[in-house]
Amino acid sequence: MTSTAKILVVEDDLDEAKLIKMVLEGEGYESLCAFNGKDALAKVGAEKPDLIVLDIMMPEMDGFAFCARLRATPGNEHTPVVLLTGVAQHIHESKYPLDGVMRADAQEYLEKPVKAEELLDAVARLLE
Amino acid sequence: MSEAASGKLNCWGFQDCAHGPGSAQPCVVATDQASNGVNGGEKAGRLCWAVGGTLSGDEVLAPCARQMNCLDCDFLHLVRSEQGRSFQLLKLARGVSDSQQLQDTIVNVESLMAIHERLRSHFDLNETVMEITGEARKVTGAQRSLVLFLKGEPPALHGQFTLKGKPRRVVMDLDENSAVGFAARYNRMVNLRDIYTANQLGGVPTFNRDYDEKCGCKTSSFLAVPVDDPEGRVIGVITVANAKKGYFSSDDEWFMGQYATEVALAAEKQKFIQQSVSALRLASIGETVAGLSHCIKNIAQALRAGSYVIKKAINSEDLQQVKIAWDILDRHIERLADLSMDVLAHDPGVQKYSKAGGLNELVQHVVDLFREEARARAIDIRFDPGKDVAAARFDAMGIYRCTVNLVSNALDACPLSDGMVTVATARTGEDEIMLSVADNGRGMDAEARAAVFGLFQTTKPKKGVGLGLPTVAEIVKRHNGRIEIETAVGKGTTFRVFVREDVPAA
Repeated sequence: MTSTAKILVVEDDLDEAKLIKMVLEGEGYESLCAFNGKDALAKVGAEKPDLIVLDIMMPEMDGFAFCARLRATPGNEHTPVVLLTGVAQHIHESKYPLDGVMRADAQEYLEKPVKAEELLDAVARLLE
Repeated sequence: MSEAASGKLNCWGFQDCAHGPGSAQPCVVATDQASNGVNGGEKAGRLCWAVGGTLSGDEVLAPCARQMNCLDCDFLHLVRSEQGRSFQLLKLARGVSDSQQLQDTIVNVESLMAIHERLRSHFDLNETVMEITGEARKVTGAQRSLVLFLKGEPPALHGQFTLKGKPRRVVMDLDENSAVGFAARYNRMVNLRDIYTANQLGGVPTFNRDYDEKCGCKTSSFLAVPVDDPEGRVIGVITVANAKKGYFSSDDEWFMGQYATEVALAAEKQKFIQQSVSALRLASIGETVAGLSHCIKNIAQALRAGSYVIKKAINSEDLQQVKIAWDILDRHIERLADLSMDVLAHDPGVQKYSKAGGLNELVQHVVDLFREEARARAIDIRFDPGKDVAAARFDAMGIYRCTVNLVSNALDACPLSDGMVTVATARTGEDEIMLSVADNGRGMDAEARAAVFGLFQTTKPKKGVGLGLPTVAEIVKRHNGRIEIETAVGKGTTFRVFVREDVPAA
């Protein structure tokens, strides 16, 4: 059981971040939130999370840019990342291309609205 | 006459063309001795369009004319304006013998050029066709003229005309024995000078008399000219019937050829417009759907996660958790309701329900709705009710949506401390009222200001839908109103919405 794992939720919407945190804590995970990419990078350095739940569309530094910086940070080359997005991919292909998901080297890609059970499954799988 | 002697440019000089006189491969225009001096040019250098161009009546030879219609050419217009009344458009040797005939030809060509100019501004194919057939009748002296377009499967020729003031439709198949069928099938002009003789001689093609019987006409002479698209495919036929002069001359044939070109241009233009409109519409629907879907997905995400947390908290009897999650859920239910109302405001069929009186009460109600949120974010929200708007007649739902959207945006724009939102109403004209919402927030730069009414343009991708301000704009447009924006980066933004008072229903 990996329920003691520490999970960083990177999401600029306070409500959504709070709810995801509650879902994760309900399963016994330790969880913390960051509301933008910069804040998240600082928390990665200070808290060393075991897994990151990451939103794509955020102001200033989006999820892809964050991922690129994360992978370049020593010790985080393989930190599991679950990408969460509500972007209509076919329309915003140019801005948020699907192959960006590949480049971001994320282990899981979930499209909103994701069921809490699905998110928990993905998290548990990646922490095994 | 050289260019230097007359001081006027020849086409090769104007076009910087390598096929002038004395070149290795002179153009037919540059060797036409017979046109020397016409319009003050050397050889046919100032009559190129009628010798090697699209008005030559022969195969187009001049390199420039293969890329364009000479009637569109700046050089023709230059020569025309330079020569004034002495301007010669056609080569006189084209079978024109007496001065009256010459005069007629010039008048007809002038009409052709005029119609070409006018048709540039037409966007409706039917209107264009009506105008062309009208001119074709006038110029050829025909009683009737008709344009038929090839369409359907199997392809048939479809035309519209007016008989005794009533619109009629006609459909003809591609029978090669009939004049129009032949013209369309073989892309060749058919000139039946005397259809009685032509029909009796048993030659093909003939004129189909069924058509006369159907419309109560008596056709004696008939000219059918194919209309082809830029790739040379026949797209229709233009016809004239019953020449006053007894039959259609070679000049008439030439003019009809020009009208066929105009019909083809008009059809191409129509096709282009239709394709552009449909592409734009699809792109716009796509963007709208994507924007809505993104917003709904985010709301649904909160509802799903919220309901999961609540269910779990109920099982573990953790009321505190239920309360936190419920508040979030509640906010998202409101967002969903707002979204549906804003979408509805964009429905062109939505009815305005106007009422008299109560504007200040309605705006006060909205301000009160947001008071709690403002307090939580330490924002001072004030309402300054106008004194002379008590009797104003307005669309309550429209003004309500405008106020909700503007106040909600203003709160979001406010700084983290000392935020201030001021809402006001006022009468600004005999039948005009104003609603203003001001914040002391971040303000907008020119770029943000320009994009402010774009659908799904939002600076807060999760919370905002990007539908609020477009909704305000749509509602204001329907009220024949206007919106003023005063903004300065770092100082704040004021939106002023001016709407005409509704006229009471009769």
